[in-house]
Amino acid sequence: MANWVPLWLHRLGSPPVFYRFAGAVRPWAFGLALLLGAVALYGGLVLAPADYQQGDAYRIIFIHVPSAWMSLFIYGAMAVAAFIGLVWRIKIAEVVAMESAPVGAAFTLITLVTGSLWGKPMWGTWWTWDARLTSELVLLFIYLGIIGLYHSFEDRRQGARAAAFLVLVGAVNVPIVHFSVNWWNTLHQGSTVRLLGPSHIEASMLWPLLTMMAATKCYYVASLFARVRADLIASEGGKAWVRDIALGQPGNDTA
Amino acid sequence: MTPGTTYAACAALLRRDLTLAWRRRGDIAMPVLYAVIVTTLFPFAIGPEPALLARIAGGVVFVIVLLAILLSLDHLFRGDIEDGSMELLMLAPQPLALLVGMKILAHWITSSLPLIVVAPVLASMLKLPPEAMPVLVIALLLSTPLLCLLGAVLVALTAGSRRSGMLLALMLLPLCVPVVIFAAGALAAAQEGLPWVAPIAWLGAGLAMALVLAPLACAAALRIAMDT
Repeated sequence: MANWVPLWLHRLGSPPVFYRFAGAVRPWAFGLALLLGAVALYGGLVLAPADYQQGDAYRIIFIHVPSAWMSLFIYGAMAVAAFIGLVWRIKIAEVVAMESAPVGAAFTLITLVTGSLWGKPMWGTWWTWDARLTSELVLLFIYLGIIGLYHSFEDRRQGARAAAFLVLVGAVNVPIVHFSVNWWNTLHQGSTVRLLGPSHIEASMLWPLLTMMAATKCYYVASLFARVRADLIASEGGKAWVRDIALGQPGNDTA
Repeated sequence: MTPGTTYAACAALLRRDLTLAWRRRGDIAMPVLYAVIVTTLFPFAIGPEPALLARIAGGVVFVIVLLAILLSLDHLFRGDIEDGSMELLMLAPQPLALLVGMKILAHWITSSLPLIVVAPVLASMLKLPPEAMPVLVIALLLSTPLLCLLGAVLVALTAGSRRSGMLLALMLLPLCVPVVIFAAGALAAAQEGLPWVAPIAWLGAGLAMALVLAPLACAAALRIAMDT
């Protein structure tokens, strides 16, 4: 087997290479996110039938559930990046972990807001102290703590390492959020989409949901890469490759 | 006791921290005074009906103890970092995790034990029924070291940053949610005459895990914070 894969991954750890790679991927990821999102919204809001129990109000599921998945997925991705950054001291991994946090916090907030919009007609209340709602709120607080810790240090790398450590400590909450509907039987409905075995949801409702999930994943990649590029420019401001880009020198510039 | 052994170093560090705390006895009284004052605010704020107070007494006492510990945590490592003894601890041949564990133990003795002593008084001010008192003390004996251990990791993380007070609260309180749930759950069960051993066992399991992992994590976090 050729060794270009490890070699390429190794080179990707270098800030200028990652900057160019992220710049090349970002527009495609944004475009794909928009396209898939539009298809999923059309499928979910127009093509899918109304629910026999919840009528049209259930359609917020196409925003709510993919956001909830992403709030956990991004935490997982952030924890992996934080672990790599802490163990192997790879700067890009630290930056990826830290720039994932605001995106994850945004998805968590969207989950909470759409959930409360959905909860009002279905449960008759905006907020209830239900296990899943509460653990999702705690997840938002953990995201905010990570962002706060990162920005409280003068030295970016030191802040990133400290916050990466907090990411790993806070990771205990992720399984709690994920399994809360199975462990505690409270108001929130159980999961209907299964990775293994048949899902308890109509196929015409399932495909927009999965398409939206792909769209949010693409959006995460695009948004993350845009943020990482900005962070790299800020933290590597004194380096030659940033100066080359700023001055529009040929060879390094990709714009 | 042979000087230089790990055991001697741990004992010496514990004795030093306790002596230092005893020299500043006023600081030990601060969390207790804070807890007493906050407790007296509750009857003023929500009204003095005994039934209502008894209903919320357990949860209120746990939250107050948690906040008092949070306030006292901030100077757990600050003095040592400012006068340079933290660097010496890190350079010592003994494992840093053990030494940090001793510091956390000393901090628990000076900050949490007084709180546990006054907690039954606070709870009876809030009309907690006497038969629930032993459960309150047991739950506090298990949950306060857990909170100190968790808090120490996060304090170590903020040790390198200048503004840490509110940030510490933002980081620590979400992680304390399970501790509060189990501790208050045991007390609520005891008040209703239900079996309360299961949540206590959960607290014990959490404490056992934290005793092993938290000093290691704390030492690693301190190395990150001091690495400039």
